Amino acid sequence: MVWQKEDRFAYENFLEKHKAIFVFFILFFICLSMRLFYLQIIKGNKYKAISEHQRLHNTNERAPRGIVYSSDNDILVSNKFSYVALYYPLDGHKKISNETLKNLEIILGRDIKPKTDKNNKYGKILKLADNLTKEEMFKIREQNLRLCGVSVVREPRRVYPLAETSSHVTGYTSEIKPEEIEELSEQGYKPGYYIGRGGIEQAYDKYLQGKTGGWQVEVNARGYRVKALKYIPPEIGASIYSTINSKLQKVAYDALKNSDTGKGAVVVLDAKTGAVLSLVSCPGFDTNKIRYKEFSKFLKDKNLPLFNRALQALYPPGSIFKVVTFVAAVEVLNINPSEKVLCTGKLELGDRYYTCWCKHGHGWLDLVHATAQSCNIYFYQLGLKLGVKNLEKFSKKFYLGKKTGIDLPNEKNGFVPNPEWKKSKQKIKWLQGDTVIFSIGQGGLWVTPLQMSCMMSSIANKGVYNKPYVVEKVIDINGEELYRHKPEKEDRINLSDRTWSLLHTALLETVESGTGKRCKFKYIKVTGKTGTAQNPHGKDHAWFISYAPSDNPEIVIAVIVEHGGGGGINAVPVGREIYRAYFDMVSETENNRESVR
Amino acid sequence: MIKQGKNFFHWLVSNIDLYLVLSVTILIVISFIAIYSAGSNYGMSFRYLSVQFLATGIGFLGLLLLASFNYQHYKHLDKLIYVLSLVLLASVLLFGSVKRGTKGWFDFGFISFQPVEIAKIMYILVLSSFLDTKAKEFKRVSFLISTFAILLGHLVFIMMQPDFSSTLSYFPVTLFLLYAIGIEFFYLLCIIIGGGLVVGIPLLGTFFDMQLKIAQNKTFLTNLILFLKNDNTVVYIISAVLVLIISSWWFLWKLRIRIPIIYPVVLCGAIVLGCVSSTFVEKSLKDYQRKRLVVFLDPHVDPRGSGYNIIQSKIAIGSGKFTGKGLKKGTQTQLGFLPEQHTDFIFSVIGEEGGWIIAQLTLIFYFLFIWRALVIAKESRDRYGSLMAIGIATMFAFYAVINIGMVMGMMPVTGIPLLFLSYGGSSIFSSLCAVGVLCSIYIRRHTY
Repeated sequence: MVWQKEDRFAYENFLEKHKAIFVFFILFFICLSMRLFYLQIIKGNKYKAISEHQRLHNTNERAPRGIVYSSDNDILVSNKFSYVALYYPLDGHKKISNETLKNLEIILGRDIKPKTDKNNKYGKILKLADNLTKEEMFKIREQNLRLCGVSVVREPRRVYPLAETSSHVTGYTSEIKPEEIEELSEQGYKPGYYIGRGGIEQAYDKYLQGKTGGWQVEVNARGYRVKALKYIPPEIGASIYSTINSKLQKVAYDALKNSDTGKGAVVVLDAKTGAVLSLVSCPGFDTNKIRYKEFSKFLKDKNLPLFNRALQALYPPGSIFKVVTFVAAVEVLNINPSEKVLCTGKLELGDRYYTCWCKHGHGWLDLVHATAQSCNIYFYQLGLKLGVKNLEKFSKKFYLGKKTGIDLPNEKNGFVPNPEWKKSKQKIKWLQGDTVIFSIGQGGLWVTPLQMSCMMSSIANKGVYNKPYVVEKVIDINGEELYRHKPEKEDRINLSDRTWSLLHTALLETVESGTGKRCKFKYIKVTGKTGTAQNPHGKDHAWFISYAPSDNPEIVIAVIVEHGGGGGINAVPVGREIYRAYFDMVSETENNRESVR
Repeated sequence: MIKQGKNFFHWLVSNIDLYLVLSVTILIVISFIAIYSAGSNYGMSFRYLSVQFLATGIGFLGLLLLASFNYQHYKHLDKLIYVLSLVLLASVLLFGSVKRGTKGWFDFGFISFQPVEIAKIMYILVLSSFLDTKAKEFKRVSFLISTFAILLGHLVFIMMQPDFSSTLSYFPVTLFLLYAIGIEFFYLLCIIIGGGLVVGIPLLGTFFDMQLKIAQNKTFLTNLILFLKNDNTVVYIISAVLVLIISSWWFLWKLRIRIPIIYPVVLCGAIVLGCVSSTFVEKSLKDYQRKRLVVFLDPHVDPRGSGYNIIQSKIAIGSGKFTGKGLKKGTQTQLGFLPEQHTDFIFSVIGEEGGWIIAQLTLIFYFLFIWRALVIAKESRDRYGSLMAIGIATMFAFYAVINIGMVMGMMPVTGIPLLFLSYGGSSIFSSLCAVGVLCSIYIRRHTY
């Protein structure tokens, strides 16, 4: 075939070019086909995921946290719900439009100033308005199309019925801070979540956190919701049954609040199990107001209301440490309890005088009465005979200088001094004078009120040591038990029976006729020890540690009134209030039982 | 040879290229379905489809008319056709209405017409005629100059609209026809180098700018870009290239490899001319246009602005996977993430809702059509027909490559439609007219 009116050569020349053009187009076609294959078959899943991500949107509905009950079936922490209007920024709509804001203002009839999140880097959700009524909520949902990106969610808020009374047991919640996110995101926490801070809220946060739910909706390119796909209801967190007795907690808090300085701590333990019946640090703070301006007031308060004194404050034990010296003396020196020592009011050692709190001296005292009267001179001499090594050994035997291991956060260790520590710290040799004041619980010895209560608890149980705990069990929404407190393998302080009975007699005598006689009851015998701890910051701290009833211990109480002065005068009445409330409660339940019968 | 009535129709149908018409018909059917789906998002399915039906009907009438008309007559009428096309383009500048910043439409109320679509076809007819008559003089410079004069006549009017993207098809059509007529490949190469420099330099500058904007710290790469962006550097590089060309020519001359002096001179001329005119292009292109042209290299530089279209289109096609999401179930399409979905990005709709199977089939039918056009070019009874067929095939092929390449993120975003598939009355009408011309050539292949 040849072109009309042309020679053969021209046509063949053209055919060559034609072939080249054809090959060129085939290459084009192959390129396009390969690209199509690459996009749809090789990268298909990736693009599918992107397209789903851009069309689906989750409105997070925060799950309410679990409820915390007290042991007497009162509620320590629960939830209240309110409706909140939130703005969810979508792709391409990072900022809320003025038009949407105006529409919302018309619906609600009030000015809206969107709170800009400080941690914009993470959570981008803006809170537009809270405390909405139901009608307002429905109005906003109706006018959905005119409010791009706005949604109303039910938001739970924490409520603490006991407020400041239980503040240090429950703790409080607040939003995750941006600096915490990186660490916590591994455990499944997301920006905008609330986490517990302090107390049970922090320690049992993983149980209390519920499962976030919400609507999955389809959004179009302009950010409007087209249809709702599915709703996952948020799941409330597990309920926590604590060992705290709300009545006792209230009594203890009020008693402490009304004491001389209104500062201090009380720990009440169940003597048999180590369950914490009440744990008070005074002053407390109103955990319901934590989100408002009060919080900064709490932070600035010189009385340190946010400071959990029961676990975190370190005090010198003062005279209550004499029980350790007592035990060491009986065990090591095997002293004759009836041997009497003369107290003249002061002890001369080298060029210094160490005085007794009773300036005129107690006269001749035996071991039991020296303890009951809390005579310093007697114990100075015991301490000198024992030496610092023995005192340190017995302190550690009573778990001092070590965390009790309670299931609450931020517990302090406390400290037991020794010659090596003094040498490295103060560059001075340990002197006999140091041993003397060590024997009455001063000079570098630091304990927490919780540690003292545990010490008393093991004395009450003749050496059996129960780890303190505040949470009995955790039960989730389906009734499944997620956690139950198990007593750890028995740990005990091995001392001879003679030591125990001597100590019990001495401590009973303290309340019956000694420094603790303000806590003497007619029918119930209380065993205890008072203490007056000198401290460099001001007036002495008043201590009282005790248990009752003496023959069959039920509860252990440790009281400290910060700068309260004499233990016998200021701390003991607080203990008395608690005992009265406790035994009233017990007899009431018994009466009830009888009347039911 | 001309027959009457039923006989004539019978002759027409029996001689028509069935492959060609069939592939076109299938493409148009796919187009209807895709436009229906894409339009439903805007609630405009009915309007789009009715316009498209009407234009297709008129287009098929035009096809039959042009198929029955002997194409050889165009050759005698070439001057008239050229003048007519210029008049069309000029009158749209005077009486046309403005759409999307382009004064390129005659508005007739229900339907509007874009004369540039039909002018493209007329240009192919005219250029083929010119090349055919002057085929023997193709080695003269005057031949090249007159060819570019014909091209310039159209370009000037179209650029005045301004409709940058519509001019794109003129260049490959002209180049391929020149190649087919037998112009030396070297000269075409010079033209391509010159043209490449004209647009390449400003676009490269824009691309570097965008890269610099996202580059956080000064790495070796950013320093290199800053170095290249310096005007002096560009001048140095160009002069170095020129010196290299001349010296290598001289070196070869000394080695007794004799290359006519005209070659290096033309090459250098093309480079210099390209660089000089690139400065004019740099001034005439608007910033957003330049960004749009280079953003396909890295759309994530500007994901909410110039890169948005490409990103969404790639997501749409990719998420279709093997079988697609189903008609009217494409989330990218129906939720409006995909821009311009019934026009420029119609292929993304096909890819998303039809999946790989339908998209690849569409490509195959498109290729089938181009292949038939090339077969017609080979079988034509004279050079005029061959050249016209080559021109039409090139036009369709480049439209397809630029458009499909664009939606798949391989080509700049230029905003040209996918012929046969995109919504648009004028383009479907003129495309069918072009098919009519092809049929006319095919029917008369054995008529001597």
